[in-house]
Amino acid sequence: MQILKIVVTGAYAAGKSQFIRTISDIEPVSTDYAVTLEEERALKRETTVALDFGTIAITDRLSLYLFGTPGQERFDFMWEHLSTGALGYVVMVDSCRPAHFAETQQLMARFSEITDAPFVVAANKQDDQAALPPAYIRRRLGIPAETPVLPCIATDRESVKQVLLALLRLIAARVQD
Amino acid sequence: MALEGTLKDMSLSDLFQVFRMGPKTGVLFLACTDLRAIVYVAAGELIDAAVVCLPDRRVIAAHDEAVIQMLLWDDAAFVFRHNPAVLHRPVRIRHDAEHLVLESIRRRDDLRSMLPYHHVTLDTCLQLSPLSAGRECSVSLSVIQWRILSQVPHHSSIRAISQATGMPPDQVIHSVLELMAIGLVEIAPAPRLAQQPLRRHEMMVTETTDHAPHFAWAASVHPDERAGAHERRLPISRSLIDAVMRRVRGL
Repeated sequence: MQILKIVVTGAYAAGKSQFIRTISDIEPVSTDYAVTLEEERALKRETTVALDFGTIAITDRLSLYLFGTPGQERFDFMWEHLSTGALGYVVMVDSCRPAHFAETQQLMARFSEITDAPFVVAANKQDDQAALPPAYIRRRLGIPAETPVLPCIATDRESVKQVLLALLRLIAARVQD
Repeated sequence: MALEGTLKDMSLSDLFQVFRMGPKTGVLFLACTDLRAIVYVAAGELIDAAVVCLPDRRVIAAHDEAVIQMLLWDDAAFVFRHNPAVLHRPVRIRHDAEHLVLESIRRRDDLRSMLPYHHVTLDTCLQLSPLSAGRECSVSLSVIQWRILSQVPHHSSIRAISQATGMPPDQVIHSVLELMAIGLVEIAPAPRLAQQPLRRHEMMVTETTDHAPHFAWAASVHPDERAGAHERRLPISRSLIDAVMRRVRGL
């Protein structure tokens, strides 16, 4: 059995678990617990404390594993473990919560220390007509032009596919036969 | 479903730029101590606004002046909701957002508090904002603002612009903040950090002979700690990635 791995990361409540749930072949394995902090509970009731896990079967002998990192910074010790051996990663951003941009910038800086794997940014919740456009998110996060910032709806399979394909294109560009 | 935050997270001038980019249609609510404000946005343009004071909801500013008053707030909670019914409201604001932003800047002492999340120094590199390309607005720039704007394509850092124009650095920074507030220039993204990552990224596929769930494998530990188990790491090939892409496309 051959295994490839992609990591899905992002700030708290950015939509990482939903992204994996939407595309995974299996019912994702999640390690969610009730949110304890009042301000975080305002955003969602349960949170990922270790990881989310989903798979996409490529062939009988090859699988793509998707790992979602815990969003809260106090679990950042998991990020390095999860990114080990990953082909690349997706950074999820909530397009309706500019309060999370600073946390996302810190997370991206931390990942760039851990790995130089290729990554894309997924501007989630673009189905909300009030959502910030990807161009503004690129500007606020200081993302260079060569890194794709893609519109994303984590509940929509086609949208999740497009994000994954954009990442796979970056990965393919680095792989030489 | 709404865009929510505080002005510390996202300034009102940035919100106005985003409304124009969309273009967005809806209602923006703001709350600052005992003041409440509302701005109606139709197809990206500000069309009406008011500021009221609690508890009796006495109107203390309306139309253009209300927007300028809001722009002078350093912090407030905001919510913007899409609402197509706003398109049918009468237009009561005479000037466009950029004009009102510049007017509020003239009344401000500290411009930095208007854009709290931008750290502008002499070494900050700038670029013309692609967000403003092609749009029309009636903003009138000062001679100093024009001088600096004209230098941005040629001298990326504020220090270089100051040297090229002979203008004092503080004055250049002030004018740059003004140009950022109306969306004409922005901070250029730094190239991807050149620092050495803990590990260079290795394109590897893991082959295992273990048919148990592999969940623990990938989540886990450093590859060196796993060596010797029922697995080996192989260089990845382009054909493998192509196979993954074909499968994802077919999902």
